[in-house]
Amino acid sequence: MTIQSLCDKAIAGARLSPDEGLELLRHGELLDLGAAANEIRFRMNPLPRVTFHVDTNPNYTNICNIDCIFCAFYRHPGDEGAYTHSVETMIRKFRESAANGVTTILLQGGVNPALPFEYYLELVTRTVREVPGVTPHFFSTSEILGMARVAGLSTGEVLRRLWDAGLRTIPGGGAEILADGVKRKISHLKGTSADWAGVMREAHRIGYKTTATMMYGHLETDEDVITHLELVRALQDEEHGFTAFIPWSFKPGNTPLEKIIPEYATPVRYMQMIALARIYLDNVPHIQASWFSEGKKTGQVALHFGADDFGGTLQEENVHAAARFVNTTSTEECIAMIHDAGFAAAQRNTVYDILRVFELPAAAA
Amino acid sequence: MHIRDRKLIPVWEKTQRGERLTMEDGLTMYASRDLIGLGAMAGAVQKERSGDAVYFVLNQKIEPTNVCVLTCKFCDFAAKSGDARAYEMSVEEILAKLSPEIREVHITGGMPPDWPWERYLAIVSAVHARLPEADIKAFTAVEIDFFHKKFRMPVEEVLRQLIAAGLRTMPGGGAEVFSERVRRLLFNQKIGAKAWLDIHRTAHRLGIPTNSTLLYGHIETMEERLNHMIRLRALQDETGGFLTFIPLAFQPGATGIKPANRFTSAADDLKTIAVARLMLDNFPHIKAYWVMLTEEIASLALNFGADDMEGTVGGEKIAHDAGAVSPMALARERIVRLIRAAGKIPVERDAYYNPLHVLGTRVVGKIPYLNSVPFYALLEKRDFRILPVVPRRMGMLGAIGEIDAGPFSLMDYLAREEEMDLMGWCIATRDQVKSVMLFSRGGWRDLEGGRIGITDDTATSVRLLSVLLEQKYGVHATLERLHQGVNDYDGLDAVLLIGDEALRRNKTGLDGFELVFDLAREWYEWQKLPFVFAVWAVRRSVPLREKEELGAMLERALGAVGGDFIPVAGRHGRRIGLTDAETQEYLSGFNYTLGEREREAIAVFRRLLSPAHSGAHAPGHEREAR
Repeated sequence: MTIQSLCDKAIAGARLSPDEGLELLRHGELLDLGAAANEIRFRMNPLPRVTFHVDTNPNYTNICNIDCIFCAFYRHPGDEGAYTHSVETMIRKFRESAANGVTTILLQGGVNPALPFEYYLELVTRTVREVPGVTPHFFSTSEILGMARVAGLSTGEVLRRLWDAGLRTIPGGGAEILADGVKRKISHLKGTSADWAGVMREAHRIGYKTTATMMYGHLETDEDVITHLELVRALQDEEHGFTAFIPWSFKPGNTPLEKIIPEYATPVRYMQMIALARIYLDNVPHIQASWFSEGKKTGQVALHFGADDFGGTLQEENVHAAARFVNTTSTEECIAMIHDAGFAAAQRNTVYDILRVFELPAAAA
Repeated sequence: MHIRDRKLIPVWEKTQRGERLTMEDGLTMYASRDLIGLGAMAGAVQKERSGDAVYFVLNQKIEPTNVCVLTCKFCDFAAKSGDARAYEMSVEEILAKLSPEIREVHITGGMPPDWPWERYLAIVSAVHARLPEADIKAFTAVEIDFFHKKFRMPVEEVLRQLIAAGLRTMPGGGAEVFSERVRRLLFNQKIGAKAWLDIHRTAHRLGIPTNSTLLYGHIETMEERLNHMIRLRALQDETGGFLTFIPLAFQPGATGIKPANRFTSAADDLKTIAVARLMLDNFPHIKAYWVMLTEEIASLALNFGADDMEGTVGGEKIAHDAGAVSPMALARERIVRLIRAAGKIPVERDAYYNPLHVLGTRVVGKIPYLNSVPFYALLEKRDFRILPVVPRRMGMLGAIGEIDAGPFSLMDYLAREEEMDLMGWCIATRDQVKSVMLFSRGGWRDLEGGRIGITDDTATSVRLLSVLLEQKYGVHATLERLHQGVNDYDGLDAVLLIGDEALRRNKTGLDGFELVFDLAREWYEWQKLPFVFAVWAVRRSVPLREKEELGAMLERALGAVGGDFIPVAGRHGRRIGLTDAETQEYLSGFNYTLGEREREAIAVFRRLLSPAHSGAHAPGHEREAR
């Protein structure tokens, strides 16, 4: 099949096979992918507007026993700069964030084996009770697996108890690349792609909404990218628990992988990832572009390559910062960036309910 | 192609018909939110002109001083003498800064009140003497105007003296935006549109190709941006002297014109590249100047109409901070990576955009003339990467192994027969060609002892001309290679032009050269044989599977064309001023299959070239004019 006929097929709403996806990724012209992704984006999200949310990404600990070679954030117990915050400290932080208008708190660790399961339950319970107006969006699959080990429970049981404590959404981090050959190389202690998918499946069955992520631009091949997308699509067919798909590029600064991969992937690769995700994931409602992870201008352009969401304003962020990659914004600037890209901006909550719409100023319309 | 915004479709249809876009069309494009559709339109035009090539140059910027008599609101470079930041470099300091590997030196700077004219000439001559291989691109029109006024010399005289010192091309800075309104508000001490355009017109007439710029993203309107492009386009029609157009995104900094953090948006940057590619239908190149656009946007722009990445200028600092051994090599590596990531082939160029090195694989050369369009109709990205390159340069790149296949000029094929396999296709004429023409002031025999200018593009036509002169007519003349860009034909007795330029001149005529000879017709009347200008050949070392793939692709392409050339070549023809009927007639005159008669013609030509036939000193007749 020619590239054009593959694009036409996807635009018409038919599902692409892994081989067809690979063909598009390898041989499609960038703007052919962009045009097809854009058509599909407007079919699935017809309004010419882009959503964002006001969020923050604090961390309760940087102590971690997983030792991923793409990470500049973690410390071992006793290392200089290692920290674990008390629940009280975290709640105080959350209150400050809520006072600043934050509606989503994306909280992740380290996977710190010294923390008892009760710590996590208390974090959720107290957040729900004491910080009204924010949605806790806590704990990646790696941490859920860590809790299960510490507590001697199944991951399903861990998820059920967190649900009972009030947790309703989970971030999609920890997926990296869901192809075990690469996963073993970059994060050999983090579990397999089946582990990630298993936790996500259990979460979706309980009723959690989650995102799915992908970190590319390290050791993965084009085939691995397709394997990843295929796994996400198949899982979504089961319970429809994913709200959005979020790709980002590996940031090599200060990581052990920096020696092999000194630069992060180019913006052209990012557009290919965003567009391909929109074309391939016909059952995931939203594709998130990030002003944060790839730079403001690149993020803006991605809104034309199939993304309909601009992520969060990230009042605090430590993981990319540890890799010397820093971007900051304000709610006003975030809205202006979306307007400059030619879209109305809509503030949403964690599960994509619209809170407020900022129409395009007349001059730009 | 998918264009979501229906308002863009009429603009695209006009472009496809080869019609010129108007201010209204430009406004429609800027108003559209269909960034992808606009990019795809511009990308298609880019592909037609530049194939998959993106050009860069190893260059360096020298700013001899920042002392300047002007005070422009948007400039935070200039200083006044006595300021702590003010500096003035000596010739020795300048020479010490030059890296030996560069191919272009870019010299601009402030306009100090007290430098004598000789100091500028000394800088240019010294740089030229130190790096004779590097082309000097120096002085914006604003500086030329300053010299003209300060040293009381006509602009033409200023330029002539700079050329004599070694200047080859001029940068495009100082144009800002052609609007009296904006000029009065932001840079009232600078020259206006008329003076800028006049200086570039003069430079073009003297054989200096120049760049052009637009400073956007400050207080200008969309109409002012488009008017700027339209005026550049008009001058290009007149002179053909512009090499490239460079949109410069305004950097607010401490200028006070805009809040310091209010940069142009990514959408505006990419739209401006795309709109420029579509509006400036007579410009060979559009540049994504990465130093100002950011590497990210520059890299994306290579799919939105830009085919030019500037060069290593400005990269030295980044590379230097990274502690590299050779800052220039690292800056080069960065650019190459960005171009490859965009799916294009990095092509290192000289100041005239001649390709010096092609950093790609599976590269197929394309003669950028109407007559080879039919071969390339069916190429998709998967097959081969296309590099448009004039015949002589294709031969040079083939010789260093950087082009795998293509319609090589016959002479280049004959020189490297041992390394090449013929592919069964060629560009051969039946009885006339119309695009290899000698424009002459007199008849053949009047050329005895005369001077004939030959375009820099040709490899085989010039040998055909020698054979005709010496063996058909028994005439001896000196052949002088013309330089790139605009040439002054005064003092020449005849001029040999090939390709689209010959076609165009065949129609419009060339002032002062009353007689026009078609070299293929001359050959046919003499030998009663076709003439083979180029043969498709592929490097022997290319894997068989790839050779077969390429052969099948060419077969399919020619098969699909059949005898109707308009669907694939009509637009190219219209761009160079031919009606569809003329294009059809012109292309029907070619034979693309290498048959018995063509092989016989090659054998005859080869015999005539052998020393026994040609004069012993024949090749020595050719000398560089520059």
